[in-house]
Amino acid sequence: MEYPGQDTVGLRKRQQQLAKHNTASILDINAGDTDPLLFHDEKHRTGLRGGPGGPSSRYNRGLLPRTKQEWAIPVILTLLALFTRLYKISWANFVVWDEAHFGKFAGHYLKRTFYFDVHPPLGKMINGLAGFVGGFNGTFEFESGTEYPPELHYSVMRVFNALFGAAMVPIAYFTGLELHLSIPAATLMAVMVLFDVALTCISRFILLDSMLLFFTTTSVFCLCRFRNLQIAAPFSRDWWIWIFATGISLGAVASVKWVGLFAIALVGLHTVQELWEMLGDLKMPPAQYANHWMARIAALIVTPIAVYIMSFAIHFAILNESGPGDAQMSSLFQAGLQGNDFDRNPIELAYGSRVSLKNNGHGGGLLHSHVQRYPTGSEQQQVTCYHHKDTNNIWTITKAWGQENVTDPGGVDFVKDGDVLRLVHTATGRNLHSHPVKAPITTSQNEVSCYGNATVGDANDLWKVEIVDDVFDKKTTRVKSLTTRFRLRHNLSGCLLRSHSVSLPQWGFKQAEVVCQKKGDPDSLNHMWNIESHRHDKLPAGGKGAYRSKFSKDFLDLNVAMWTSNNALTPDPDKEPDQLTSAPYQWPFLLVGLRMCGWGDSAIKYWLIGNPIVWWGSTASIGVFLAIVGVYAIRSRRRYRDWDAPGAWEDFWFTGQLGFVGWLLHYAPFWIMGRVTYLHHYFPALYFAIIIFAFVADHIGSKLPRVIHVLLITFLGLLVIANFIYFKDFAWGFKTPAEGYRGRRWVQNWNIVD
Amino acid sequence: MLSTEMPPPPATTAAFNSQTANAVGSPARSRKSNKPLKVTRQDASSGPEDETAPLLRVDAATDSLPPAFVPLESNAYSTVKGLSKPIAEAQPPSYLSEVGPATSHAGIVIGLTVLALVVRLFQISNPSEVVFDEVHFGGFAAKYINGTFFMDVHPPLGKMMIAASGYFAGFDGTFDFKEIGKDYIAARVPYISMRLLPGILGCLIVPMSYLTMRNLRASTASSVMTALMIAFDNALAAQSRLILLDSILVFFTALSVQMWTRFQSVKNRPFTLRWWTSLALSGAAIGLAASVKWVGLFVIAWVGFSTVKYLWDLLGNTSVNAITFFKHFATLALCLIVVPAAIYMAAFRVHFAMLPKIGSGTGFMSPEFQSTLKGSEIKEAYAEVGFGARVMIRHENTQGGYIHSHKHYYPTGSKQQQITLYPYADANSLLRILPALEFENETSTSPPVTEFRQIKHGDIIRLEHDATNMRLHSHDQRPPVTDVKGNFEVTGYGAPGFMGDSNDHWQVELYDYKPEKPYLTALQKFRLLHVNTGCALFSHPVKLPEWGFGQQEVLCASNGKKSLTTWRIDSNENQFQPKTSVKVGYKRPSFLDKFIESHRLMWRINSGLDGTHPFQSRPQSWPVLARTISFWSSKTGPEKMHLIGNPIVWAAALGALAAYAAAEAVGAVLWKRRMVTAAGVLSGATRSAGLLFIGWLLHYAPFFLMGRQLFLHHYLPSLYFSILLAGVLFDGITRRAGQPAQWTLAIVVVVIVAYVFTRFAPLTYARPMSKDACMSLKWRKSWDWECK
Repeated sequence: MEYPGQDTVGLRKRQQQLAKHNTASILDINAGDTDPLLFHDEKHRTGLRGGPGGPSSRYNRGLLPRTKQEWAIPVILTLLALFTRLYKISWANFVVWDEAHFGKFAGHYLKRTFYFDVHPPLGKMINGLAGFVGGFNGTFEFESGTEYPPELHYSVMRVFNALFGAAMVPIAYFTGLELHLSIPAATLMAVMVLFDVALTCISRFILLDSMLLFFTTTSVFCLCRFRNLQIAAPFSRDWWIWIFATGISLGAVASVKWVGLFAIALVGLHTVQELWEMLGDLKMPPAQYANHWMARIAALIVTPIAVYIMSFAIHFAILNESGPGDAQMSSLFQAGLQGNDFDRNPIELAYGSRVSLKNNGHGGGLLHSHVQRYPTGSEQQQVTCYHHKDTNNIWTITKAWGQENVTDPGGVDFVKDGDVLRLVHTATGRNLHSHPVKAPITTSQNEVSCYGNATVGDANDLWKVEIVDDVFDKKTTRVKSLTTRFRLRHNLSGCLLRSHSVSLPQWGFKQAEVVCQKKGDPDSLNHMWNIESHRHDKLPAGGKGAYRSKFSKDFLDLNVAMWTSNNALTPDPDKEPDQLTSAPYQWPFLLVGLRMCGWGDSAIKYWLIGNPIVWWGSTASIGVFLAIVGVYAIRSRRRYRDWDAPGAWEDFWFTGQLGFVGWLLHYAPFWIMGRVTYLHHYFPALYFAIIIFAFVADHIGSKLPRVIHVLLITFLGLLVIANFIYFKDFAWGFKTPAEGYRGRRWVQNWNIVD
Repeated sequence: MLSTEMPPPPATTAAFNSQTANAVGSPARSRKSNKPLKVTRQDASSGPEDETAPLLRVDAATDSLPPAFVPLESNAYSTVKGLSKPIAEAQPPSYLSEVGPATSHAGIVIGLTVLALVVRLFQISNPSEVVFDEVHFGGFAAKYINGTFFMDVHPPLGKMMIAASGYFAGFDGTFDFKEIGKDYIAARVPYISMRLLPGILGCLIVPMSYLTMRNLRASTASSVMTALMIAFDNALAAQSRLILLDSILVFFTALSVQMWTRFQSVKNRPFTLRWWTSLALSGAAIGLAASVKWVGLFVIAWVGFSTVKYLWDLLGNTSVNAITFFKHFATLALCLIVVPAAIYMAAFRVHFAMLPKIGSGTGFMSPEFQSTLKGSEIKEAYAEVGFGARVMIRHENTQGGYIHSHKHYYPTGSKQQQITLYPYADANSLLRILPALEFENETSTSPPVTEFRQIKHGDIIRLEHDATNMRLHSHDQRPPVTDVKGNFEVTGYGAPGFMGDSNDHWQVELYDYKPEKPYLTALQKFRLLHVNTGCALFSHPVKLPEWGFGQQEVLCASNGKKSLTTWRIDSNENQFQPKTSVKVGYKRPSFLDKFIESHRLMWRINSGLDGTHPFQSRPQSWPVLARTISFWSSKTGPEKMHLIGNPIVWAAALGALAAYAAAEAVGAVLWKRRMVTAAGVLSGATRSAGLLFIGWLLHYAPFFLMGRQLFLHHYLPSLYFSILLAGVLFDGITRRAGQPAQWTLAIVVVVIVAYVFTRFAPLTYARPMSKDACMSLKWRKSWDWECK
């Protein structure tokens, strides 16, 4: 038994030599096995003679099958996958479940209007492309449950998704082969993906999940292929192809959903281990070792980041018109969009200007107030930062107390650097106010509230304008719309007006907290503001400026905003969680199903539920796997020798690690996420659990007589298929009353009926 | 001679000594004959104990290993650079033999103890005012003495010890320790005696650290130096001069380390008396540590980690059979699981027994728990609830108390009378249950109650506030705080002569309705649904602002969590109550119920400590001593007390951590490159260092996961490990220089440490110092005490 960080290459080699002398490996099927039924190609079968790394080992098997028989299995699997994913795909002619979001986002790409969402753009852009192919013009709003208009070829969009879903199946099969599973076991793995009801169902709609799963499977496949080439032929042409393929695939998976980062983590852990083992290879020249590092940095770090950034670059390039997501972005970015009214802004800020103030922190919002009061502290009117444009964001620039009459009635008094002024909330007439009262969440800082009115007020209403810089005019002394960044310093206490990505509780509508930061760092973006919208009765419109925001800043802004919004998707502690959400502990045991649409007796209904054999079986296999590892660990500790066959231990360790660590990385984080979670969050983890299932079945089978091995796996496969047939209506849709399926409610909590 | 010690374990596990090799490629148990290898037990009485010595040494001469393995093994390592002999013959580092057996250290121990007492207890009476968290822990002592129930986030042992020291010194429990700076002298509080308990325990860690160092086989010079570094640390000194838990916690942690290292030093003599006592005392010490503060759980984790390693090594010893293995296993489980758990539970048992009366913590507890306290207002109530009854309705899931109203109005919404939740049963919590209004020809009448009629599932009722005659009412207005869609305001509404309207109607829905048991009874869970809007009467742990006296918000929620819309009647009087009615009361909880309930609550309160404090700090700032804590400052003079470490000691500790981590990393790479052997990496010093490093890590890293308010003093148990680590590394590096040189170096270190200690001592002892002296101590910008 070996553990990571322990290299026994030298020992291992000697052991292998010894193994030839001993006949200790009767139990190991790989050792003397040449059965074409179980193993797929000649090189594999003869691999034993070369040993790992040899010129003709199983590690550099060709990618594609070569004989007709070898073609048969993947082709049949693919055809079946296409059938299960596409069958009656256009039956439900209404917006099903989250098509309401992702269909709408596709529409935004076609209209080129800027929108905001918590997921990275790649998957949504692919849906946009699908819409484009299907002739969608972006006008349909994708209201949940509404019927598709006849001119919208929604089935084209669904087919796009379904193809990604179907492609998972052959990839799973080839992944099994790359993992050196027997052919029946690789087929079982593919069959479990193919005939899982939930994976089938989720691939049939306009969502992101089928793409996420597809790129997850390709990442795993590329990694396995790369690992084999790493053993057989490092720095060969194929090696280069597959290491970069891995990187691109990882970039793609993270660009569809952030869950893809877990796949990156998995590959990262493997890479660290690989480099560590290589460090122990005394024969490797340092230059070669350095090249291994460089290649991995280029392919597995730089490439995924490049793909991720590229997807955002395309996203920004397509969405060049003002849309519902504007407010999440900086004012300058918005100014670069077409179709907003920023050109009506007067250029320079003056007393009497009615403005909205944008916080410059990444993902910062607009300074906001509303009639609701703080339940804590001063209990005065709340001041927050908000990402939605409405009249409660408008503030009037007003002279300080006692200076109201200084203005020349005919002229316009511009605001200068260092001016002390009041900000009056236009809708409620109250003054922006701060005082030495603890802020509601960040209690070490001062509260900011709205207080008083046009006549009632005090020195705590006064703020000093400190200009930081201006995009065009570095030395400006006047505040200009959009381009000038400034701080607002509380005149009495010297604290700085700050907004940050801390959400208020329900009473503050989860808007961002605004505080007055004592000893505030003047360089922090969270303390900087700019004028976004600006109106003044006596000033002319400024016209369209040549604004261009930096891509790097937009990219960061958007990612921070995604992060903040994602974290704000927390369940309300006061409300009964709705039927759609579920908790992570329920997933591996398939304790919940999810109704994807209206449940009327005559409606077409889809119910997201896994194939119980696949889900329960894969979960159980993780336990079995850990037990097997435990047994081997104890046996090795007691000096039993179990791993004499060449490569057997390495394959066991790699596959087990890939499946188990992959599963854990894709599952465990959901336990600590505060956000609401859904059943489909388990799907990527399920794929890794399926790998473990096939692997464990194969491993146990290999200890049994060959016929029983094959029968065992066939039996498991048939069980999966039988269950799929029994549950298929939930994925393909059913129009009869759900009551008819009462018998399929195997778990009390399954909400197929009631 | 070939022992079973075969290929070395990886350097990454150097932290814990692997006595036996990992098995890969090791000479296997003979396949042909499964008989155990012949072994000879090492003579336990022979000379100094060698930690690297295997539990049982295989006598290779009598072994029947297949010859094929012998060249394999010797080849494997003969290629290693610089290693010409088989690894199995590598001798333990020679210095170990220099250390004599643990003979009498009495002189040194007594000397260190006396010195520590002088350093730590010097002017312990100063300041004679409440300092920092004495507010809490002094206050808890008073509550133990008074026997009034309270709730706190920490387990009870430390607080009970403080209470006991106060009790025996004659403290009567009348002083309330309400705020920092409150005078002890005038109130005649025996605060010195109370401070002496943490004080003396704080002193004892000094000689204890010396003994621990000896267990780790450090030289006398290094051990004395380490003990003095601990004695002269300003933070440990300051913390042990006050009525606080940390000194007690650090003491029990140090005791655990002492006992566990003692066990480590005898682990190759299993089931001897010293082995047994070390193990049992380890278990006791970790149990005591965890009973003071939950941070003690980290020392349990440390011992647990080490135990798993111990068992794993044992498992690798093929001469140990299953019975012996399970004997070890059972003994370890008994001493390290059963004993600590029993101590922990016993602490709670005593805690409950000492607090029999209601007190400040009552309101946190479930009514079941409250009913066990003397003076509780919770009494038995008639089971059947009928119309006309005067009841109190308790919210089930929060401990907010009863539905309450008073003659004050909401400043928002309808501006009608407030309905709140209030934990105490007073007259303002009494509600009368009335039948629903009857409507006829646009007039409504309130049907009179003339006889006993029981309320059943589905009945529509009205609830009238007994003191103000206002009726529980809801309507299309938003609640005052949780102004969210689907939530409605609940008010008290009515006027003399006004019958009210259908917005006063509430429908009773039994929580677990069964058709055969349709009637509402006292203590039965039910919900109240507002008939007109369908929302349910709801409350949650959200407080109303000042105008609502900080009482809990009550509202009507459309989709409220079921557990937050559940209520129980636990006071029920009715003039029509039939004579046959029986009274019911809350079920009395068992000790285990109380234990579990307390823990749920402690956990909730602990994670709810999310406020911000001017002197709080995050874990990353602790090892570098970026932030101090202001404990106290004089209202009149320049005296002040700050929790600040001795910068030299802390720098040494941090340096030792960095050096060890770097050495481990370099060692791992060198080992991987076969440039050193595992035996080379695993010298005695690094093995002890690994144990201490993991101890430091386990006491430090978990704080990064905690979102709650944290302070510098949370680092002290970790600091203890890192100072020991510094001592061990000092020993490892200087040992070869010889004793005189080592003593000289140690004395230089101690002199520097002691000098710096005295520089910072005014902050530790709250002594006056000049403004210049005060300013000159500001070695870091972030140390922000005021100099007057």
